[in-house]
Amino acid sequence: MTAAAIDIRSATKTYASGTEAVHAFGPSSLTIAPGEFISLLGPSGCGKSTLMLMIAGLLDCTSGEIELGGHVVKEPQTSIGIMFQDNTLVPWRTVRGNIELQIELRGLPSADYRATVDRLISTVKLDDFADRYPYELSGGMQQRAAFCQTLVHRPDVLLLDEPLGKLDAMTRESIRRDLQSLWLEDRPTVVFVTHSIEEAIQLSTRVCVISPRPGRIEKVIDIDLPWPRDLAAKRSEKFSAYAAEIEEIFHGYGVL
Amino acid sequence: MAMASSEKAAPAGASWLSAVLRALGRSWAFILFFVGFFLFWEYAIDIFSIPAYILPRPSEIVTRGWADIDRLLYYTYVTAVESLLGYLVAIAIAVPLGLAIAFSSFLRRTIYPFFVSLEMTPKIAFAPLFISWLGFGLLPKVIIVFLVCFFPVVLNAILAFGSLNEELTRFIRATGASPWRAFFKVRLPAALPQCFVGFKYAAINATVGATIAEFIGSDQGLGFYIQIVTGNMRPDLAFAGIFLLTLLGLALFGAVTLVERWVIPWHISQRRTH
Repeated sequence: MTAAAIDIRSATKTYASGTEAVHAFGPSSLTIAPGEFISLLGPSGCGKSTLMLMIAGLLDCTSGEIELGGHVVKEPQTSIGIMFQDNTLVPWRTVRGNIELQIELRGLPSADYRATVDRLISTVKLDDFADRYPYELSGGMQQRAAFCQTLVHRPDVLLLDEPLGKLDAMTRESIRRDLQSLWLEDRPTVVFVTHSIEEAIQLSTRVCVISPRPGRIEKVIDIDLPWPRDLAAKRSEKFSAYAAEIEEIFHGYGVL
Repeated sequence: MAMASSEKAAPAGASWLSAVLRALGRSWAFILFFVGFFLFWEYAIDIFSIPAYILPRPSEIVTRGWADIDRLLYYTYVTAVESLLGYLVAIAIAVPLGLAIAFSSFLRRTIYPFFVSLEMTPKIAFAPLFISWLGFGLLPKVIIVFLVCFFPVVLNAILAFGSLNEELTRFIRATGASPWRAFFKVRLPAALPQCFVGFKYAAINATVGATIAEFIGSDQGLGFYIQIVTGNMRPDLAFAGIFLLTLLGLALFGAVTLVERWVIPWHISQRRTH
């Protein structure tokens, strides 16, 4: 058994202190194996983004600790790929330039990554838009470009914070499929924050159901469905059963 | 889906003449208003029998001004030098200072509130003092222009460098980029649009500062000219001076706008709408 990719041990996050204190997350524990696709599923404001930022080392745990690749996270982790709710495309660079920004900020030689950039751009079907600026793209195209930006330095751990949250249903479905095939190909460890039950079941090896504030990982559900999970898989009885099981839990919280 | 690709560039063969014609076509309402305004002025003088020593006709302003064009142009040059020098020195000092204040919590607690209170002071109120300290020469004018330009630039620079959005800040941290690299690749370009808000504001202030400084104490420049000719009951020449000051202000503002278009063509304020 290889070491855990991510090990969350009784992590909590409390913002401010005293009477003003807001208990945002935890305590919760979870061990994620390399190559897993984990969804953090919960209602808005439940602290799932907080947990993601703590894994990334962009927020400190108030108590408990998180281990990433065998080391306790104490500072921003540069070995991973993060995609934020609002994409981090800058308006003064083209699609290609934005992807290369990840490389340049890391001080890596751009020339070595040219092929990777090209491959990523064609994987997400943006070949004709590589030299366009973000404002010339639709929301879905922007997210695809941001996704390339997240992947270009070939991280083996990906943290994705509701990357599809602001897209329409059709675009979501199509990007989800791309995301799944990319994952199946390279098998990175993925932590995927979402509030879509369907999305979580379709993409994940395990779904972590997070309770409303303060967020806790209430239940971890193994999703035992064959890959790739296409439209047919989503119509299967088993898929519906998982959805019903999760809906039941949220219904219990009074969220649904 | 291919929304962006459907955008057609202007036909390649379009000559400058057709470009000018198209520009005229876009702004015909403005041109009409502009011409109408001066025609109204020209004839209102007759209709309301306004004496020339109160309000001259536009045609008189042009002909009498033309007669004194050498002096007017030289004074325009003098005022332009004062405005430009004060403006450029203000930018050269205010931008680095704004940057320092944005990144230093100590400066934000000390100098920043001081600047905010000074912003409420009419800087022009210092003009007589500078004239009395430094005399009638170029330096006190440059300092006064500097004062009226400095605050809009520094306050906008503080805002510009201090307001990078949270996700980009996190993105930078997650890449482990050095402060320098992060500054030149992300923070600086992201700050430029807001900086230009200050630059444009200051460009408008610059000629105002120079003119008032000349009013208070000088022996050349358009502000000086306007005061002298007004004292001699020559409002026609005063208007000629005002007209050149307007041109000077427009030229400075236009130059800043051109630089802006060149530096941040990607910004939403610079995108051409078809």
